[in-house]
Amino acid sequence: MPNAALELDSVTRRFGPVIAVDRISLAIEQDEFFALLGPSGSGKTTMLRLIAGLEQPDEGQVRIAGEVVTDLPPYRRGVGMVFQNFLLFPHKTVAENIVFPLRMQKMDRAQQQKQLGWILELLHLQGLEARYPNELSGGQQQRVALARGLISRPALLLLDEPLANLDRELRSEMEVEIRRYQKELKIPFVYVTHNQEEALTMSDRIAVMRNGRFEQIGAKTEIYTNPASAFVAAFVGHANRLDGQLSEIDGGLARMNWAGGQLLVPRPADAKSGDRVRYFIKHEDLEVTAAGLNGGGLNGHVANDINQVSGTLRDIIFKGQTANYIITLPQGTDLVVSDTPRTITLKPSDPVIVRWPAGSGACFAAEGA
Amino acid sequence: MSGLRSGKRLHPELRFLGLAGPGAAFIVISLLLPLLSIVVFSFWRTESYELYADWNLDNYRTLLGEAAYRTFFLRSLVTAAIVTAICLVCGWPVAYFIARWGGRYRLLLVLLLAAPFFTGAILRITALQGLLGPIGLVNMTLVELGLPPIEALMYTQLASGLGLVYLFISFMVTAIYLSLVNFNFELLEVAKINGAKPWRAFIEITWPLNWIGTAIGIVLVFIPCLANVVTPRFLGGPDATSFGMSLSQQFGETGTWALGSAMGVFLFLASFAVILAIWPTIKLKRSGFTGAVQQ
Ligand SMILES: Nc1ncnc2c1ncn2[C@@H]1O[C@H](COP(=O)(O)OP(=O)(O)OP(=O)(O)O)[C@@H](O)[C@H]1O
Ligand SMILES: [Mg+2]
Repeated sequence: MPNAALELDSVTRRFGPVIAVDRISLAIEQDEFFALLGPSGSGKTTMLRLIAGLEQPDEGQVRIAGEVVTDLPPYRRGVGMVFQNFLLFPHKTVAENIVFPLRMQKMDRAQQQKQLGWILELLHLQGLEARYPNELSGGQQQRVALARGLISRPALLLLDEPLANLDRELRSEMEVEIRRYQKELKIPFVYVTHNQEEALTMSDRIAVMRNGRFEQIGAKTEIYTNPASAFVAAFVGHANRLDGQLSEIDGGLARMNWAGGQLLVPRPADAKSGDRVRYFIKHEDLEVTAAGLNGGGLNGHVANDINQVSGTLRDIIFKGQTANYIITLPQGTDLVVSDTPRTITLKPSDPVIVRWPAGSGACFAAEGA
Repeated sequence: MSGLRSGKRLHPELRFLGLAGPGAAFIVISLLLPLLSIVVFSFWRTESYELYADWNLDNYRTLLGEAAYRTFFLRSLVTAAIVTAICLVCGWPVAYFIARWGGRYRLLLVLLLAAPFFTGAILRITALQGLLGPIGLVNMTLVELGLPPIEALMYTQLASGLGLVYLFISFMVTAIYLSLVNFNFELLEVAKINGAKPWRAFIEITWPLNWIGTAIGIVLVFIPCLANVVTPRFLGGPDATSFGMSLSQQFGETGTWALGSAMGVFLFLASFAVILAIWPTIKLKRSGFTGAVQQ
């Protein structure tokens, strides 16, 4: 197997008592769009800075294309980086900003201009060459920053929340664009974000980070459908959270006592009867229907491998392609169901039944219980 | 737009003028009137300590014709240039260090730079005299150790120049520091990631983006040095007479006020030329300078 584009080997970085990055090992393949997803302070930026050489690891090794770069300064690592606040050079024009990496490589001028023409076209920046950064919109500035990061075709492009300062519409447009550049140029991207939708839209593989550790790393569908921990289940996608207690173990499944009824849930590893657990079920895995005449009173009930609960529809939040149905259960908690808005004709305060396949969702031993 | 009250209010410009007016008037009167008067005097004539208003160009003829004045001026010019260069080279690293690594002591460190000012220029020069002169600390120590004293430090142009550096370097440091505290050091990381070695990043990014502060520092050092009177008098020897010193003699010892005024005008023009030379190099909008210029 050829060398991975980037390898981290048990890399650790401490800031005083804080362990920002804690024994992280990772290999990123050529052509891969890799997302680092995690809440604020989880160590994402520190990890990028370690890869770029802006920070030195306290322990561990960084390799780029097989070469050990742990002790190399940033200007010898040949990586590109794009920042949340763009960080264009204010005294240089768009063209001067973009060719900066090539000038540092002492590439000859004709070649520089050729590359510049190519990248301006790729990023739709033609006509802006002579402008200064303060004469550009936020979106244009971010494109220029991307162009500067990509023009020298780096071994690796690091992106630290590059879209966080853009408005929503521009952001979804750029998500698609950035993924296109990555696929066209076949440069591995390491993309930091705390926005799970961004990570899911753009990447091939995701690492979910928490307190300097990887909580889970895998293909994005894997992360989405098979979260490895309660943290991942709560952080990725939109899930309802139900706290209960296991009553009966049955192979890979378990019965959970919840709100006076029972639900069939996946069995957490090593779980025993009587354990307190936290169960997650995604909004879109639930189905809501009007309660029939014999409806009400189904509070936590398993029938024909279907979990079902009854409640009252409190509100419908229309989101365009889908709608969120907020359902209040008799004991006062809310469930959120995401469904196409056309399929059902329900009104607030209608009695409803929520169903989902028994054993779907994810269940974990309650933390600190 | 904002309802009833705004219509009755003065324009903001006018209100601002009301605030700025007294200060501006003071500056205009205290700067322009003396300047105007020396321009007028420079075309007059002095005789036995009296000014006569008969208009002529003799003072300028003397000034440009006599070798002594040219020497004084060139000496001042060269000294000012060298002193400014030394302040620049020594001041930049100090300012950079304070701005970058001073942390919460930054302000304190900058204020410390101003500490010598607490005592006044003459006292500071006298202190320097005590340090450099024949019975000063440096040479006395050398003599005590059985070594010859450093002649070059005793009443020479070198001593006078050192005195100037001592007097003015804190202006340079402060001006550069004030520019650097507004500088986004992250831009240096960007430059390095994009392949710039540290010195290259300095030339490409740090220097141009802090040129305003540097230019202000240069002006603040160069112009007073050009007009310098004190250090040659206290630290310099007979061959250290500066243009400014000669100028002040016209108003004192020799009482040739008209010639002195002409020298003043000449000095003013020279300083103005320096500012004119630096002006076009400053591009406020592109400098990352935070005070945006309104159109
Ligand atoms: N230079 C530093 N000095 C001290 N502590 C630091 C430093 N840089 C980061 N940290 C700490 O390391 C931890 C990880 O920070 P990091 O910036 O990597 O988080 P992040 O995941 O990028 O967060 P965000 O999403 O808010 O950008 C935090 O607890 C932070 O306070
Ligand atoms: Mg961050």
